Amino acid sequence: MDKMLKLDRARSDLMRSVARGSLVAITSAGVTLSSIAPALAQDNSIEFWTQSYGDALQWNATIRDLAAEFEAETGISVQHETINWSVAFDTWLTVSRGGAAPDCADMYWLHSFSAIGGDQYGPMPINEYRDQWENLDENFFEGSLQDVTWQGDFYGIPWRGDIRSFIYRTDAFAEAGIEGPPETWDEIVDIATELTERDENGNVTRWGYAYGTATNSVSWLLPYYWQAGGDFMTEDGRTATIDNEAMRTALTFMRDLMWEHEVVDPDSMEANYDPQPGFLAGDIAMINSAEQSWGVELDRDYPQLEGQWAMSLTPEGPENRDSFSGGGYLGVLRGTDKVEQCVEWMEFLSQEDNMATLSRVSGNVSTRRDVMDSEFWNDRPWKVVVGEALEYARTSQHPAPAWSAIAAPEPGAVLYDMMYDAVVRQQDLDEVISRAQERMQAELDRSNVQ
Amino acid sequence: MERDKLIFCYVMVAPALILTVGLGIYPMLASMVMSFQLYDLLQINAVGTPFVGFENYIAVFQDPRFVQTIVNTVLFTIIAVVVSIAMGLFLSQVINANFKGRAVLRTLVFVPWFVPPVVASAIWMWLLQTERSPINHALQSMGLIDTDIRFLTDPSTFGPFSIPMMAVAAVRVWNGLPVIIIFLLAGLQSIPKGLYEAAEIDGASIMQKFWFVTLPMLRPVMSVLLALLVMNGLGQFEINYIMTRGGPQNLTNIMAVYSYQQAFMFFRFDYAAAASGVILLMTSVVCIFYVRAQSKDTLR
Repeated sequence: MDKMLKLDRARSDLMRSVARGSLVAITSAGVTLSSIAPALAQDNSIEFWTQSYGDALQWNATIRDLAAEFEAETGISVQHETINWSVAFDTWLTVSRGGAAPDCADMYWLHSFSAIGGDQYGPMPINEYRDQWENLDENFFEGSLQDVTWQGDFYGIPWRGDIRSFIYRTDAFAEAGIEGPPETWDEIVDIATELTERDENGNVTRWGYAYGTATNSVSWLLPYYWQAGGDFMTEDGRTATIDNEAMRTALTFMRDLMWEHEVVDPDSMEANYDPQPGFLAGDIAMINSAEQSWGVELDRDYPQLEGQWAMSLTPEGPENRDSFSGGGYLGVLRGTDKVEQCVEWMEFLSQEDNMATLSRVSGNVSTRRDVMDSEFWNDRPWKVVVGEALEYARTSQHPAPAWSAIAAPEPGAVLYDMMYDAVVRQQDLDEVISRAQERMQAELDRSNVQ
Repeated sequence: MERDKLIFCYVMVAPALILTVGLGIYPMLASMVMSFQLYDLLQINAVGTPFVGFENYIAVFQDPRFVQTIVNTVLFTIIAVVVSIAMGLFLSQVINANFKGRAVLRTLVFVPWFVPPVVASAIWMWLLQTERSPINHALQSMGLIDTDIRFLTDPSTFGPFSIPMMAVAAVRVWNGLPVIIIFLLAGLQSIPKGLYEAAEIDGASIMQKFWFVTLPMLRPVMSVLLALLVMNGLGQFEINYIMTRGGPQNLTNIMAVYSYQQAFMFFRFDYAAAASGVILLMTSVVCIFYVRAQSKDTLR
């Protein structure tokens, strides 16, 4: 009996001590965290997030080196974190609704995220610091500065551009005796028809043409529509302007390439479509709207293809030669108390040498004119083309917070559905466009509620 | 003593409870509340999040795409559950038998379990890519087909079914099968051998033994499995999203993907919450049936 009592007491003591131990652990953890938090807030370090570009390891090492140099100069340490592109949009959306945010970051879609964050979260205007960048307008491309301005406020420094050109297999061209890349839409049709090949069962062994390299299929439509003379909305971002002849021309061209001339893969708009393996294998002869990062990748990862591909300007449409351009910027996030440190860091990164380094490592076009004039952006024929394409580059940003929803590359989005219904499903163009116009206007109205 | 024991139990359960409440119950309730509010990120700064009653539910049910996703979700779940259980029953019997090479077969059968759904989706996307599919190449080499099968992109339908739907369902079955086999294997191994011996003495054939001994004895395991598979099937997301984004022509779109698209592509968290509310309702029905069946079994 005594033994039982002792055992019971021992068990009871054990339970008590475990319970006490757990409480002590939880309390002390809380105390430790609360004592660390103010110390962290007072330190001279900033948290900086970027997406990953090019070779991820090289990218991280580059930012680390730049941060070390910056710390040596200013005493401000930079804690860098990389966001994977696959979750980048969701991350910035969360940040814009009050989720954990860095002090400053490499961002994009300014118009949407600043509208979503309002004056509480998300991108922070830094108008009072704009003058710290001398000759901003002369040093940077005009289009890139448009991307960091929203409703008259200045939000940061553009650092990368995504310029689209035309890419083609020179070996296929040589084999068919074609001398140069197409210059017009009509030439696209002729050359693509000549280069499309099928086996005896009708299976395509080489597609003559692909609309674009990006996985964002909606981005393929933009240059065709612009080249046909269209604009997606009025300058104030309040009125949709897609129900017009330019849209009919653009969609007809895309649809005919797929179904009449049969030179484009009908699976192009599906989620699992990726033109890169096909191009590398020589199964796709030409791609319109090719990201410049393809040039970097082909140089770096596929040296065996040297001499078998080239880039050129996107062929001219009925009205002009406008090509797609996207971009990203360095900005500050609302909620930080380290605005000045962040601005110093951004100033440091936007210096010519550092911008050249970022451009070289990421493979992105620089937004600084002097960097694009440097040897790096002129030492290969495709880079010269990319430089020339800047002259025709038109920003894909539109002055409406709803634009990213309108142009989302997903079923259910206005432009995706319009393209899919018109091009893939071959529905009546007038109906499709009229429906899209109505939906797009509703989206714009939704984001313009006062 | 009893008090100490109680405190000890609470302390032990607390971490799991806190996690469940914080990461499960709270978001679920918050989402339910959101489904009755106007929660549009593009309007939220101007109009806030006013109560709108059932408007969001009405809006999603007026969207033909959502109605189709409900049908698709149910179909996907039925296909995945029926095929998985049928294959699971067969393979678990095979693995349970004594033969040379059983260990190798077991390893092979369990391999898909080690592949996360995201990776499985990427691998199968490549395997099913129309022009580069090794499956198409193999079928053509064998002379079984002339033209490539568009596994993930063929929009033609036969009734409510389509090739992309079957292809995605097959991947879901492939990825989920090992867990089912483990469940069923455990069930099979707990059946007393004496029952089979008695059946044999009575002259039962293999099929009769399976039908009158194995299946009834597996019933408790199967009911748990069925409930889990149906609930999991109704809330499936990643394989469909990664492989097809719901396409072609919404043929493989399911409710969870629809919900994700509404929230993270179109900023309509209210519609997303309403769609999630429908998923919750459907899984709750299954859950209630399951709990009631379990309670009856316990009482018996």
